[in-house]
Amino acid sequence: MNLLEVSQLDLAIHGTPVLESVSFAIEHGKTFGLVGESGSGKSLTALSLVNLLPPGSVRAGNGRLLDQDLFALDESQLCSVRGREIGMIFQEPMTALNPVQSIGDQVAETLIVHGACSRSEARNQACSKLERVELPPERFPPGMFPHELSGGQRQRVCIALAIALQPKLLIADEPTTALDVSTQAQILALLRSLVEHDGMSLMLITHDLAVVADMADTVAVMESGRIVEAAPTEQLFRNMRHAYTRRLLKASFHKPRRGRLNALHDQPLLRVENAVRSYRLPKSRLFSSAETLRAVNGVSFSLDRGESVGLVGESGCGKTTLTRAILGLDPLQGGQISLGGRPVLAGRKMSRSLRRRMQVVFQDPYGSFNPRHKVDRLVAEPLHLGDQSTNSARRREIVAQALEEVGLTGDDMKKYIHEFSGGQRQRIAIARALVTRPDLVVLDEAVSALDVSMRARILDLLAGLQVKHGLSYLFVSHDLTVVRVITDRVLVMYAGQIMEHGKTEDVFRNPRHSYTRQLLDAAPCIPRSWMQG
Amino acid sequence: MKLPLQLLAGATLAAIFVIAAMVSFAWTPYPVESLNVAMKLQPPSTTHWLGTDHLGRDMVSMLMVGSRISIEVAIVAVGIGLLLGVPLGLAAAASHRSKLDEIIMRGNDLVFAFPALVIAILITAVFGPSAFNAILAIGIFNIPVFARVSRGAALSIWTLDYILAARVAGKGTVRISTEHVLPNIANLLVVQGTIQFSLGILAEAGLSYVGLGAQPPIPSLGRMLADAQTLIYTTPRLAVVPGLAIVLTVLGLNLLGDGLRDYLDPRIRRARQ
Amino acid sequence: MLRYTLVRFLSLCVTLVAASLVVFLVVEIIPGDPASFMLGLNAEPDTVAALRKELGLSGSLGSRYLDWAGGMMVGDFGRSYTYRVPVAELVVARIQVSLPLAFYALLLSTAIAFPVGIMAASRRGSILDIGIMGSTQLGIAVPNFWFAMLLVLVFAVGLRWFAAGGFAGWDQGVLVGLKSLTLPAIALAVTQASILARVMRSALIDTLGQDFIRTARAKGLTRRQALTRHALRNALIPVLTIIGLQFSFLLAGAIIIENVFFLPGLGRLIFQGITQRDLIVVESVVMLLVFAVIVVNFLVDIAYALVDPRLRIRQ
Repeated sequence: MNLLEVSQLDLAIHGTPVLESVSFAIEHGKTFGLVGESGSGKSLTALSLVNLLPPGSVRAGNGRLLDQDLFALDESQLCSVRGREIGMIFQEPMTALNPVQSIGDQVAETLIVHGACSRSEARNQACSKLERVELPPERFPPGMFPHELSGGQRQRVCIALAIALQPKLLIADEPTTALDVSTQAQILALLRSLVEHDGMSLMLITHDLAVVADMADTVAVMESGRIVEAAPTEQLFRNMRHAYTRRLLKASFHKPRRGRLNALHDQPLLRVENAVRSYRLPKSRLFSSAETLRAVNGVSFSLDRGESVGLVGESGCGKTTLTRAILGLDPLQGGQISLGGRPVLAGRKMSRSLRRRMQVVFQDPYGSFNPRHKVDRLVAEPLHLGDQSTNSARRREIVAQALEEVGLTGDDMKKYIHEFSGGQRQRIAIARALVTRPDLVVLDEAVSALDVSMRARILDLLAGLQVKHGLSYLFVSHDLTVVRVITDRVLVMYAGQIMEHGKTEDVFRNPRHSYTRQLLDAAPCIPRSWMQG
Repeated sequence: MKLPLQLLAGATLAAIFVIAAMVSFAWTPYPVESLNVAMKLQPPSTTHWLGTDHLGRDMVSMLMVGSRISIEVAIVAVGIGLLLGVPLGLAAAASHRSKLDEIIMRGNDLVFAFPALVIAILITAVFGPSAFNAILAIGIFNIPVFARVSRGAALSIWTLDYILAARVAGKGTVRISTEHVLPNIANLLVVQGTIQFSLGILAEAGLSYVGLGAQPPIPSLGRMLADAQTLIYTTPRLAVVPGLAIVLTVLGLNLLGDGLRDYLDPRIRRARQ
Repeated sequence: MLRYTLVRFLSLCVTLVAASLVVFLVVEIIPGDPASFMLGLNAEPDTVAALRKELGLSGSLGSRYLDWAGGMMVGDFGRSYTYRVPVAELVVARIQVSLPLAFYALLLSTAIAFPVGIMAASRRGSILDIGIMGSTQLGIAVPNFWFAMLLVLVFAVGLRWFAAGGFAGWDQGVLVGLKSLTLPAIALAVTQASILARVMRSALIDTLGQDFIRTARAKGLTRRQALTRHALRNALIPVLTIIGLQFSFLLAGAIIIENVFFLPGLGRLIFQGITQRDLIVVESVVMLLVFAVIVVNFLVDIAYALVDPRLRIRQ
């Protein structure tokens, strides 16, 4: 007997159809995975079940939770279903909790609104629910506020309040996308134990095929508002019937073809020696002296011309601080960085001729461009590091050439950035990084915000450009799979230090340091045996 | 189609007032300098559309010339606020958490402790009353308003990646502030400008009402209301008319400001397309 | 919380000292010699000398400032030159009108704005919302002293519910005193209530779009419960900022509006001080007004921390 059955679900928002005849079923005590790229409608499918849709939505079809017709309930009946029979958690744990209410109160509220118990009883219950999600009251008293917790801990609070009444179904919408690999592994383990020990059914929505392979009993794949394929997990991976599913899988393991460069090993291009940078932490007491945090603590490495080096680590490991120092944005407090033998200094102390040899591509395709400038001005910005004599005709020529190199056209120059998609914007960012003919390009999570298919194409582009221009890449990322396919060497950073470095394949196959092993083990993966053939 | 309508209505109301004030430089129905006691307190008629005041001056002409002072004070005061406040705000944001930022913000707090009326009182006590006091008082009051607004908005721009990209491209703080930050907070400044403009008109009216602003014989809307007060039981028209003029102008400016905000906000604009 | 309060209190003291320096500078230094300024051009040298002595102008600037500031701390504001009585005496009588009026208006405007703003936000886009937004737009545009005149015209002259002006005093009972402040307080409150209601509405609408509201709804809270239990307290943060700013507007407004109702408040004292060039009165009253604004802003800062735990620092 199925717990949830959805059939022929249609949804239109302001007249635009976004879901078309979506049908699926979830069994008791099982995990159902719903995968798809962004905009495929997977979140809206979940929100349709409890009717928490954006204004202007019109929904049709059937949805049954046991013998209850979900789509026939009125608002007050739905309120008693939400939280009691269907619990939900969302992607962004940093903003999902009320910042001015204590975590205990937020968990207790679920019990109170459904009249499950008295106020004082609810407070006690809240403690035990928090303990269930591994936030023991000794270390996490219920009077704590969300801002005192990390992202993973906040996601645990969200889970605690979603499961406080033992709902039959827990909907988790990209619950680990905003989290680091190790935290992701812990949260996924917690969700798994809720299914196994507490008898809940789980609807897990994600863009990550490896996560569903790891977690789900059955999987449905969504593409632009439709379910294109659904099957028990192993069967789906072993025997993909729909072209889209195959494309998705291929893209997520895409390995760009990288031409070989004759790396010149005589003199390293970038040399980081014993770099130290610390921050002062806010004072914990009024008259105590401020403590400092060594974000980068004695890091040394070098990068050769034509080489691709990955810098991996979880958030807070110091990779961002190190990257900023390498780019000459922030000064070091100890050690030194040199590019081509000349010292890299922060701000304007660094000469223009040195600065132009190093460019950067950032993660966010939306925040990386001034929305008020047209593409020609955006791409030409670093040219101001070059000769002052560059006239406007020459400028245009350089910009057009750069745009064509990244797969756009010269005509795109006259457009504003909002006229481009996320993938196109990343191409423009690459074009901007290329106009000064740099030696080193720092790719700071440059493909992390993109869907897998877009990511595959950008990786191909980067691999091609590297050979063409003899570029060196420093690839900074938390995403191990990406680093593995695009780099020659990899540095694993933890707590401000490099824990391990070596040839990428060696490190991935035989990690020597326990932290690297832990990191690799934490990453979910699709069993090899499922992907033969 | 509610938004363009609001913008249009606001712009029309504000324009009527501004145009009337501008025309008054060249022409008014009657001269406002000449007093004609024989014609005092005439009710509205075809010759005097809004009647005459207690000194026999034509109300329409008085309103036209009176608006001039309001606009003058409000424009210059907004100008002072923009010219001094915005650079301070940008500088504070560019040097976030430094000594300079701290000094600018503490200075802001200090000026905020002096309401425009108090500044006007201080200036008048020492230099004597004049319309210039009102400009200075409201202008000084505007500085921390613009500084705070531009600092807040600039701070959020400074966190964006395109600022980092510009720094990697070797651009300095000043160039980044003028090329990247200022254009992206300009919308906000325009909107705040219209708000401060309408507040300036209200404040000027208040100051000249208590005698700290424009001095007779220069007509001003606040002065007209002060004169009308003693006659309010017999001739309420004298108080109602200038008051309504202020209300409609400020209403127009506020509608214009709101309309502009919605019109310039890319999020709302995109939703409309 | 203690640390936060202490830091804010220190900042209050610094602002206060800086503000008093500004006032001292403007009033006692810019006019040159305050004594001859106060007496005018035709004053006899003897009279000027006598006044100089009375004002204690013989000392250095530093000691004069310290005398003045130190005196204020113990309630000694100096002697009014025109009234020939201690300024403190003059001020005490008048502050009993102005300050209650400003607080009365603040209370009224908050009491009106909260429910109105909440109603508009919870029924966004409805006829009610459009009506509320329209009338607040009008409320903001009305100069309060003019609105006060209209109130007099309607409620005092027309309906005769209230006296047209004057202040009954507090000796005949609080209610009698409040009654004579009611029309002025309403006139002051209308503008501020309109602003506050709009801020409340937009803050609530912003907050209602946040992720944690979705979490609350997913828990099973109704739209209304999500608004009252989660959105309201978060929306208070911007609303408090405005309430702090409003106090200084209300204080200034109270001083102007006293004119309409012939109230014996600080306004009349200070305007007479200006015309009679009684700098001592002007200086003291200005300092008092600035002090009130700074203290209210300090209280608002403390209220922030009560509402928002992120500002409190864990001990």
